Amino acid sequence: MTRLIPTEHELHAYVDERLEPARRAEVEAWLAANPQEAVRIEAWRADARRLRAALAGFGERPSDPHLDLAPLRRRLRQRRQRRLAAAAVLMLALGLGGIGGWQARQVTLFAGMLPMADAVQAHRLFAEASTLDIEARDPARLQAWLGTHFNRVGRLPDLAGYGFQPVGARLLSNEAGPAALLVFEDRQGQRISLFLRSPGEHFERMPTGQRTDGQLEARYWSHGDYNFALVSAVDDTRGEQLRQALGVSL
Amino acid sequence: MHDLDDQQWRELLQRLRRFALWLTREPGTADDLVQATVERALSRRGQQRDADSLRPWLFTILYRLFLDGKRRERLHARWLAWFGRGQAEEPAGGEIESIVLAQADLQAFARLSPEQRALLLLVSVEGLSYKEAAETLGIPIGTVMSRLSRARAALRELTEGNPAPPALRRLK
Repeated sequence: MTRLIPTEHELHAYVDERLEPARRAEVEAWLAANPQEAVRIEAWRADARRLRAALAGFGERPSDPHLDLAPLRRRLRQRRQRRLAAAAVLMLALGLGGIGGWQARQVTLFAGMLPMADAVQAHRLFAEASTLDIEARDPARLQAWLGTHFNRVGRLPDLAGYGFQPVGARLLSNEAGPAALLVFEDRQGQRISLFLRSPGEHFERMPTGQRTDGQLEARYWSHGDYNFALVSAVDDTRGEQLRQALGVSL
Repeated sequence: MHDLDDQQWRELLQRLRRFALWLTREPGTADDLVQATVERALSRRGQQRDADSLRPWLFTILYRLFLDGKRRERLHARWLAWFGRGQAEEPAGGEIESIVLAQADLQAFARLSPEQRALLLLVSVEGLSYKEAAETLGIPIGTVMSRLSRARAALRELTEGNPAPPALRRLK
C-alpha cells in the first residue's frame, strides 16, 4: 500500500491544495492516522497563512498614476500612433524627397537648358549667315527639302501674307537629334527662323511658351512628332501672328 | 491587459510590487522593476494570452528583469572591487525594515534566501501553480518542489527560534 504513503512533494501539494480530490482524501486519511506528520504539515499551512496575512497589504501604496490602466492604454495608443505617424512621416519624406528630387532635377536641367535654347542659338549662328544648306526662295522647294529630312512634318504655311519669303534652310544636329533651321526674310531684310526638331529627352512634353533671350523672342510649342520654335526680333510685332499661322499648319 | 478593469489592474500592480519589494528589498528599485515589467509587457503584447495567464506572465517578466539587474549589479560590484572601491552595500529600504521589525513572521521570512522568498511568494501568497512558478523562475518543476521543501523547513526553523508575538501589527 505504498500508494497510500504520501511523498514529501505530495504533502506540499496538499498544503497548496494542488492535489486531485481523490488523492487529497487519501492524504487527509493518512494524516489523520499520523498525527506527528499532521502537526508538521499543519505548521507549514500556518506559516503560509501567516505570511499571507502579514503581506496582505504589503507594498500597497497610493496608486501610481504612471501605471494606471487608462494612462497606460493612452500611452500605448500614443506609442502606436507615434509609430504610425513616424511611418507616415517616413513615407511622406520619401514621397516628397522623390517628388522634390524629381522637381529639383527638372529645375536644374531647366536652369542649364531653357526650352528650345538651341533654336535661339541656331538663329544667332545661322540666320544671318550666307551659308545655308540650301537656298530656297521657292516655298515648295523648302517643303520638299523638309520632307526628306523630317517625314512627319506638316505643311509649311505661306508666310508671304505676313511679308516673309523663304531664304533657305540648314540641317543641324545636337544631342536631341537632327534639327532644321528654316530662315525667312521680309523686304527690309529682317529675318525670322523656324526651328524644329524631335522632342529632346528633357522637353518631351514641352509646354507652349514664349521667352525673351537678349534681342530675340522665342515662341515655342509642341505638335505632332516635333518641337517648334519661332525666333524673331523682340520688337517684331508680326511674331505672334506668324506663330499662330505656323502653329495651325505644321 | 485590455480586458482588465482598473480595479483588477491596480490589484495586479500591487501584487507585482509586493513581489518586487521582496526580491529587491528596496522600494525605489522595486518600483523601477514594476515599471520596467509593465513596459516590457506592453511592448510584447503579441505574446500575451488570456487573462488567466497574464499574472504568471507578468511575474515571469519581473523575475527575469530582476535577475538581469542582479547580474549587472554583480558585474558592477566586481568592477568596483577590482578598482579597490570595495563591495557595494546591499541597500536596506526603510519601508521593508520597519515592516519586518514589526512582524516576527516577516522577520523569519526576510531571512530566507531570495530564491526561497520568491518561490514562497509565488506559491503560498500569489497562489501560482507549481508549473507557473517553475516557468516564472525559469527552473524545472522538480527544482520547484525541492526548493519549496527546503524553504518551508527553513521558515519553520526560523519561526520556531523566534516565536511570533500574539498580536500582528503592521507599522506604516
